[in-house]
Amino acid sequence: MKIAYSHLVKHIKEKPSIKKLSELLFQLGHEHEIADDIFDIEFTPNRGDCLSVNGLLRDLAVFFTVERKQELYSGTLQELKIDFENLSKNICPNISFLKLEIDKIPDEYKGFFDDYFIDLNVNKNNFFTDISNYLSYETGQPTHCYDANEINGKLTFKEIYGDYNFETLLDRKITLSKNNAVFLLNDKVINLAGVVGGKSTACSNDTKTVLIECAYFQPEAIIGKSVKYDIQSDASHKFERGVDLNNQENVLRRFIKIVSEHTNIIDMSTVTYVYEDNDKHIIPVDVDKINQIIGIQISENEYLNYLLKLGFSVEGGSITVPSFRSDVKNNNDLAEEIARAIGYDNIDLLDINIPKIENKNYKSIENKLRLFLLDHGFFEVINPPFVSYDSNDAIKVDNPLDSNRKYLRTNIVKSLLDNLLYNEKRQKDSIKLFEISDIYYSNSDSNKKRKLSIIASGRVGLNYEDFSKKINKQYLADVFKTIIPNKELDLNVLSRDSLDTKLKNEIVSLEVDIDTFSDDILSYKENSRPPVAFNQYIPISEQPSSFKDISYSIKDFSKTNDLQNLLLNYKNKIIKQVYIFDYFKNDKKEEIKIGFRFIFQSKSTTLTTHEIDLVYSDIVNESLKISGIEIPGM
Amino acid sequence: MSKSKGISPPELIKESGSLHPINHMKDSIMNLLVSLGFEIVDGPEIETEEFNFDMLNIKKSHPARQMHDTFYVENKSSLLRTHTSPVQIRGMLEKKPPLAFISGGKVYRKDDDATHLPMFHQVEGIYVDQNVNFAQLKDLIYKIIYSLFGDDVELRFRPSYFPFTEPSAEVDILSKEGNWLEILGCGLVNPVVLENCKIDSNKYSGLAFGLGIERIAMLKHGVIDIRDFYKSNLDFLSQFK
Repeated sequence: MKIAYSHLVKHIKEKPSIKKLSELLFQLGHEHEIADDIFDIEFTPNRGDCLSVNGLLRDLAVFFTVERKQELYSGTLQELKIDFENLSKNICPNISFLKLEIDKIPDEYKGFFDDYFIDLNVNKNNFFTDISNYLSYETGQPTHCYDANEINGKLTFKEIYGDYNFETLLDRKITLSKNNAVFLLNDKVINLAGVVGGKSTACSNDTKTVLIECAYFQPEAIIGKSVKYDIQSDASHKFERGVDLNNQENVLRRFIKIVSEHTNIIDMSTVTYVYEDNDKHIIPVDVDKINQIIGIQISENEYLNYLLKLGFSVEGGSITVPSFRSDVKNNNDLAEEIARAIGYDNIDLLDINIPKIENKNYKSIENKLRLFLLDHGFFEVINPPFVSYDSNDAIKVDNPLDSNRKYLRTNIVKSLLDNLLYNEKRQKDSIKLFEISDIYYSNSDSNKKRKLSIIASGRVGLNYEDFSKKINKQYLADVFKTIIPNKELDLNVLSRDSLDTKLKNEIVSLEVDIDTFSDDILSYKENSRPPVAFNQYIPISEQPSSFKDISYSIKDFSKTNDLQNLLLNYKNKIIKQVYIFDYFKNDKKEEIKIGFRFIFQSKSTTLTTHEIDLVYSDIVNESLKISGIEIPGM
Repeated sequence: MSKSKGISPPELIKESGSLHPINHMKDSIMNLLVSLGFEIVDGPEIETEEFNFDMLNIKKSHPARQMHDTFYVENKSSLLRTHTSPVQIRGMLEKKPPLAFISGGKVYRKDDDATHLPMFHQVEGIYVDQNVNFAQLKDLIYKIIYSLFGDDVELRFRPSYFPFTEPSAEVDILSKEGNWLEILGCGLVNPVVLENCKIDSNKYSGLAFGLGIERIAMLKHGVIDIRDFYKSNLDFLSQFK
């Protein structure tokens, strides 16, 4: 909500700077941004009482002397005769009406009323609606203005059920469905209560006789309506969060005052309906409890002084919660008031010592498996569970994001297969992935299983020993033999027939309950460790990569290291990776053959052959400066 | 020409894989909390409205319970948990205080844009004992944040609102660029929640906190786009060794 600094500070005796006010608003929990001396504040949903100038001033009164300069009409008022029936008093326990007739619509607005439109850049509408909008800003209480000449007949407030057509004052035609709290005029919906008024009874620029409705609606009856009908209104925002239960008459007297400052009132009358006693909420004074909750030591005087400043009243050992603070119910709520007033950051720390509990063997088998797989070059992935269709025992999502995410997977391998294809499209030729996840089933005795799933395809590894070995079923079986020698796992070879790929590498997969593995694997000694530091991520390129191989023949063995040092450390911004893919020492011929693979990729463009060749030539030239080595065929 | 035969082959580099950075971050935070005295508890990702909302004092009318915020399953009989708090509710119903639980894992909200994913990860903790207070909660949060971001990081506590804690706070840290970044939510357990779990709120009080793992991982690793975590791109994953 936007509130102008100037509209606040004129009521504050100490005239704090905007910076000071900003700091204190943060201290109170009112997160905000400032632009052009306007606070744009995001109030937490429990603080509907703050959604106005007066509401925020009530909170700031804990720090400052607030002197509100807002006059109310104080004269006596005639009783309004109106044919009104409230059939849903539980939703609307308080409602007031004011009927006003003026002789002339003012040409211009004065003072603070005009400032509101200028300072906050609010569009003007018509005189009465403008006052209604302003008063919502000043007091937090929305009002609705009907053109009184259009209210002919019986006015009813009730919660209706079923479909009703309704045209809003903003010309939107909507069909109300299920239950909605509305005002009916002779059985026709003229107002979606607490959200938006109807077109047929709206005020216009010619309206001189107005019927103003000012009510309290239970938040529960309003919540969800603005989203359901896609109508974002200031009124619904406030009623959803709860307005002051007892301020309706004052707001209407303020309405009269503003009208009277702008034009002559010919006639006015009012009526207020209060259907149930609004019980005051009372909490016994207990400063020890407050000190215990926060972990401080303040005196009872200091405690009660904070509460008095915030509008609470104290009498005979009891604290009465003001009608605008429906969020305050118990000592924890009061403690929060005190903690905010002191400032959370000003509360000293108290040493915490939680008695230690042994966490024995928490997922030790699972964690051992993860490190075992890391040792064999597998990468852990996490996939969301949503799939288009899975199997008959898949759980169906009632409200999916889209039709491709209507079910929860009962199988992880399918997710991993997507991950594999994704990486193959990015020229990865050695792919080993695993995921461990809970899997849920519908209508099953055991509806949850924790599973390990693996997929692998391509080269066994990117080194001279594994480069020419291809991953197959036997490879994966051999990997697991090292940790569970006596168990056969159900390994699968996935067909590429229906996949969008031209590659032929075998795809091997495994999906198995974690329970398959027993404590026996805990004796495995892993090489991998979770990283200790948190690496800074370097954004990856989405450009295609390509490679070039260079194979050398070395007669002077002592130069092998020089060549390795040169090539493995060769830096160029388009070289993404380099590794030795081939190594063979022929003792008979006294020759070493060594092959290097360079992977090229640019951060921003698809590389041309020419760009790659330039770097390639330089690598070749630099390497051939080392004596005793040659590139066969060059 | 040298004829050295003792030359050794090039180092055989068998590259290891890596843990997923989100799981690794989750494990790191859980290990830290275990060292502070918390016990790890697990719970289901498919929950009831009772445990996900009612027991946590989240009223029927709360916006989070609408179909546009929460994934419901099996004809609205269950839902995908929107936070890991229900695990702690189950823990409190099973065990009597003093108790100190943490739970971590996947949670779901009906959201999908550049900064929100329908699935993400949380770690939440709760500690219930006699005379647990807000000043101790602050001490715990300082310990957690100092351990994650270093002793020299500046932090601030802001009053906030969660139905299940009162008082509630959000905690921000000051970035190197001078911006306050929200890191976690916390508070004293609302007495209503303790009573829902059959714990006498006159005798016991509790503290609770929750962290979003993706957010912390993004800050720690400098990842800008949250969606990168779930593309399973090997170029991405291999950076977190």
